[in-house]
Amino acid sequence: MKAPIYIYYQLDNYYQNHRRYVKSRSDKQLRYGLQYNDTSSCIPEESNDGLPIVPCGLISWSLFNDTYSFFRGTDELRINRKNIAWKSDRDHKFGKHVFPFNFQNGTLIGGAMLDPNVPLSDQEDLIVWMRTAALPSFRKLYGKIEEDLEANDVISIYFLNNYNTYSFGGRKKLVLSTASWLGGRNNFLGMAYIAIGSCLIVLALVFILLHVKNPRPYGDAMYVSWNWKGIPN
Amino acid sequence: MTVKPMPSPNSREILCQPQNMMCLHFSQRGYLNRRVANLYFLMISILSCTPVSPVSPITNVLPLSLVLLVSLIKEAWEDWKRFQNDMAINNTPVDVLLDQKWISVPWKKLQVGDIIRVKQDGFFPADLLFLASPNPDGVCYTETANLDGETNLKIRKALEKTWDYLTPERVSEFKGEVQCEQPNNSLYTFTGNLIIQNQTLPLSPNQILLRGCSLRNTEFIVGAVIFTGHETKVMMNAMKIPSKRSTLEKKLDKLILTLFCVLFCMCLLGAVGSGIFINRKYYYLQFSKNSDAQSNPDNRFAVAALTMFTLITLYSPIIPISLYVSVEMIKFIQSTQFINNDLHMYHFESNTPALARTSNLNEELGQVEYIFSDKTGTLTRNLMEFFKCSIGGEIYGTGISEIEIGTAQRNGMKVEVQKSSDATHEKGFNFDDARLMRGAWRNEPNPDLCKEFFRCLAICHTVLPEGEDSPEKIRYQAASPDEAALVTAAKNFGFFFFKRTPTTIYVHESHVERMGKVEDVPYEILNVLEFNSTRKRQSVVCRYSNGRLVLYCKGADTVIYERLADRDNELKRTSREHLEEFGAAGLRTLCLAYRDLSSEVYESWNEKYIQAKSSLRDREKKLDEVAELIEKELVLIGCTAIEDKLQEGVPTCIETLSKAGIKIWVLTGDKMETAINIAYACKLINNSMKQFIISSETDAVREVEDRGDQVELARFMKENVKNELKRCYEEALQYLRTGSETKLALVIDGKCLMYALDPSLRVMLLNLSLNCNAVVCCRVSPLQKAQVTSLVKKGAKRITLSIGDGANDVSMIQAAHVGVGISGQEGMQAVMASDFAIAQFRFLTDLLLVHGRWSYLRICKVVTYFFYKNLMFTLTQFWFTFHTGFSGQRFYDDWFQSLYNVIFTALPVIVLGIFEKDVSASLSKKYPELYKEGIRNTFFKWRVIAIWAFFAIYQSLVFYHFVTASSITGMNKAGKMFGLWDVSTMAFTCVVVTVNLRLLMMSNTITRWHHVTVGGSILAWFIFVFIYSGIVLPKDQENIYFVIYVLMSTIYFYLTLLLVPIAALFCDFIYQGAQRWFFPYDYQIVQEIHRHEPDASKVGLLEIGNQLTPDEARRYAIMQLPGEKSKHTGFAFDSPGYESFFASQAGVFVPQKAWDVARRASMKSRPKTSRKN
Repeated sequence: MKAPIYIYYQLDNYYQNHRRYVKSRSDKQLRYGLQYNDTSSCIPEESNDGLPIVPCGLISWSLFNDTYSFFRGTDELRINRKNIAWKSDRDHKFGKHVFPFNFQNGTLIGGAMLDPNVPLSDQEDLIVWMRTAALPSFRKLYGKIEEDLEANDVISIYFLNNYNTYSFGGRKKLVLSTASWLGGRNNFLGMAYIAIGSCLIVLALVFILLHVKNPRPYGDAMYVSWNWKGIPN
Repeated sequence: MTVKPMPSPNSREILCQPQNMMCLHFSQRGYLNRRVANLYFLMISILSCTPVSPVSPITNVLPLSLVLLVSLIKEAWEDWKRFQNDMAINNTPVDVLLDQKWISVPWKKLQVGDIIRVKQDGFFPADLLFLASPNPDGVCYTETANLDGETNLKIRKALEKTWDYLTPERVSEFKGEVQCEQPNNSLYTFTGNLIIQNQTLPLSPNQILLRGCSLRNTEFIVGAVIFTGHETKVMMNAMKIPSKRSTLEKKLDKLILTLFCVLFCMCLLGAVGSGIFINRKYYYLQFSKNSDAQSNPDNRFAVAALTMFTLITLYSPIIPISLYVSVEMIKFIQSTQFINNDLHMYHFESNTPALARTSNLNEELGQVEYIFSDKTGTLTRNLMEFFKCSIGGEIYGTGISEIEIGTAQRNGMKVEVQKSSDATHEKGFNFDDARLMRGAWRNEPNPDLCKEFFRCLAICHTVLPEGEDSPEKIRYQAASPDEAALVTAAKNFGFFFFKRTPTTIYVHESHVERMGKVEDVPYEILNVLEFNSTRKRQSVVCRYSNGRLVLYCKGADTVIYERLADRDNELKRTSREHLEEFGAAGLRTLCLAYRDLSSEVYESWNEKYIQAKSSLRDREKKLDEVAELIEKELVLIGCTAIEDKLQEGVPTCIETLSKAGIKIWVLTGDKMETAINIAYACKLINNSMKQFIISSETDAVREVEDRGDQVELARFMKENVKNELKRCYEEALQYLRTGSETKLALVIDGKCLMYALDPSLRVMLLNLSLNCNAVVCCRVSPLQKAQVTSLVKKGAKRITLSIGDGANDVSMIQAAHVGVGISGQEGMQAVMASDFAIAQFRFLTDLLLVHGRWSYLRICKVVTYFFYKNLMFTLTQFWFTFHTGFSGQRFYDDWFQSLYNVIFTALPVIVLGIFEKDVSASLSKKYPELYKEGIRNTFFKWRVIAIWAFFAIYQSLVFYHFVTASSITGMNKAGKMFGLWDVSTMAFTCVVVTVNLRLLMMSNTITRWHHVTVGGSILAWFIFVFIYSGIVLPKDQENIYFVIYVLMSTIYFYLTLLLVPIAALFCDFIYQGAQRWFFPYDYQIVQEIHRHEPDASKVGLLEIGNQLTPDEARRYAIMQLPGEKSKHTGFAFDSPGYESFFASQAGVFVPQKAWDVARRASMKSRPKTSRKN
């Protein structure tokens, strides 16, 4: 595998698109921090000790916190965890001066902690997590390995299984993938193109065959219903 | 002067109430469905403001307000036009008497009791009491064209007492009081008294000048205002007629209802799912007792119930909000731009374009299966020509009528029409027989009777001469063309009626005593017993200068024969034979009779007459009763026969229509022979058809009739009709069973019809008549016309169309699904009651086969397309719901959802509804059979809807699964992932593109407007999304922020955009191809036959409305007023009871007029409790 090799974690049966979940965030707060203190949309994780939680809401509260480290033999592969979120998110949706000073201070801790000294625009794990997925089975980019992996390389992966998916029977997967100019490997689109294309060819053949074998005279007045006189076949 | 309504037991308030309620009722009925729809959307909007809603309120409020805005603009525009109209009318100046001077004030300042002056050719601003005019005898002439369309002048005469109130000085001395009836809408009645100088003088319609009429041939008149504004008779008439809804729209309601059911099922499914899904194990969702009810896992029922509401809001776009308003707009454009401006339906001779008075019924025109047509004026021209006569048992007139020619040709004879060189032919007179012309009648066997005949023609009428009094230049103004023809005939026989004063008729008689001798003879007219539909006759009592008192009478044969003196039975018999002969030739007949009166008899009768005339209550009824007293023991003179020629193009039109699968029934008041012959002449019936004739004119019936026992007669008739029906039906079945090609025709007369319409026989009549290709009903009353129409409408559930021109057709026109009035001829009553007005019967071809068919096709396509696009859109949401734990999370952004219907897919469908046509207008007429697709309702069957629903489901699955399945991996070279909003924006883009392309696929005609709107809609989506994802909105959540830019930075976007619409339309493509190949529609074959011909037949459109004179504009405006029919009838056979028929038909409402209420109240004994207001 040629570098860069992308590391994805995949969660199944995890409803990031549940209505209660999707709306439990405040984009304004993510961008402007405490200047914007109306966090009513973040119910039920909106405030702590009278101060709005930064970042508030269920999504950030349940931030994924498994960690992975990769070893080839005994060498640890360096995982680049920068630049895993869309640039527009980093630049426009998450504030450069917003710091998660009171994150995960409550009684219930849902997921990962954030370094209170790093602004949200640099917390790329959070940014990736907060671009909620469309389906209950989804992948998120964890990082990338910037070395080529050769065939027969044995990779050992150590991971800290922090994130609780047992309660709801979810599954975790780890995906290593390279990407072409089309993005990651996705058979669906290609298959669909081939399927539809071949269907169209078959259809064309069928119609050509029909035209040759059993032609319907074009514009034959005999086909008009009032000329049938009950002998349609 | 003062005007006060007559003391009446019913207060004015009560009188007005029924009308107000009725108006309310109509508007409720007309807009009920739109209101239900709007109410639904309002409910959804309210729901979307609550926390259960998955969408922000804007999603539902915005489209609703846009739709409401469009309707509001439309209504505001109509109001504005009306307002301008009102302003123009209200500010017209009129002279009012103030301080002994005529002062010009605008109409709107007029008050009851004002005395005003109206100059020649001016319009009356209010209902006036006519006081004086400079004409001798205090008469004036009015034109009532605006009221009833009759262009002949009406004579009005002031009371003698008021004749001299002409100058301002004199008028200012006028002191009087008018007692009058309550304001009502009866144009031809008025009851009241004028109290002047302590004398009470009765007032009649003769002294009343109605608003809307204009003054003619009179320098000016002075009048007192009685009713103003909305109390005037013309305004009381301008009531909304019940709005009809098309069958297609009713079916559309059912479709909407089905959609509601689907919506409910979808929501229920989702709600149950959400109740099952909710569980504390999804810890990241923090379901707990403390959170709101919708996420409380302890009460699953509440969760399900609330989710139900959430889902209703989410799936609400399944009900197409803009459907009603779009369809309304399309229909409006269709009727105003296409039907009203079609040159093919423009009659040059009378300068009359077609007029769609309502735009509700355009598509109904494409599904008509039964046409009920009047004969006179509809199939025929209503240009009456005196053609033949029978005097004293001798037939005169050698002409051969068009129908006789037709009959002869059917029998294989050749007819040479030869005219003697000296035959006179002018308008209304086409008579050729030297025996009567130029005084030659004095050598005939019965010259005295001839003289009576001619005098009767010259005296017994209500015609007004106009213009110079020379025989060549005079013009006769008559209430009906028959009358004018008769007077013209008298003129040609040497009895030239040239002058009328209120008391005298002057006749220029030549060749009476000897050849060449000419004298002017005055006849004093003592009484005129006018024609009305119950009497079916008209009499005049006149005194010769030598003192002879004669009553001349003319009328329908049945009525006259009942009143003949019991002698000269031979003459009666031969005359009856002649009548039948004339009838067979398709001629209209009238009997003429006279009676010599002794002065004692007359004086005693006249007393009663005057008494009846001055009675305030039931004046008409009493007058009729008094007339009966003197119209008896008449002596038969003879009868006249008038030819009514077929309208141009009627036979071809009928042939075309019957090829189109439309069955035509002729309903006429004429005699059976006339009716059958007209039916032959216009190719409705031919010799190869098997005719079933059910007639009351059989010997058996006559025999029972002669016995005079009414009860027995009724029993006998009923039995007779029953047997006949049974016999005919069995015979008809036999023909059908043998599968022979023989077509069937049924002829039935009014008397038999009366029994056949009895509930017990109705079904058999219906079964029989539905199997017949042509049905002719003769001697039917307007009530029966309406009954027959609704028999087919309700009994057979087929679409019916009625066409007629006169007041006697009004009931039929209103009873049918579609009412068509013939404009420009007899009067406006039929047009006022109709939904469409055309000038000629033959224009029906264009109206039905071209415009009706197109409208039907267009509306069907529009409706099914709306259904498809909304169902498909909602279903993508529905599939998503299964993947969100049934939480009701929306798939698309709020704004996408709200603008989907009103911007991204709105315009192309309207363009489709306006421009779609399968084949050109000329081909539509060349292949009338294409119309059958409409009759069978081919394009809006449940099967068609099911096919669309199938493709909607298929496409929604493609959109949802293709887009989600293809977006689970990294999306660009940097391996980044998409989120929910990226995926949904991708899907939405595919939806918008596909839905718009699908529209192009279903269009038969693609104009540049299609390209502009389809391209524009797709472009609008991109422009919108570029702007929308570039700006920051003051909301908590900016889901779409930068989404489109992220999307478009990937190759994936373009690949998907290419693939998904093709995959989605793949099935539709196969279907369309296979359908055209294996099961082609007729229109597709016709398209193929004529594929190389360019569509040369551009529908010629004419421009009207810009260069109308003010007078024309006013007439046009009044024509467009929704109006109720008046009670006046011409010579048509009319029945007074037909209005109450509608009361019973409509079921819920009783159209009681203020006038009827008043009359009924006055007939009763005085009620014990009278209310005062």
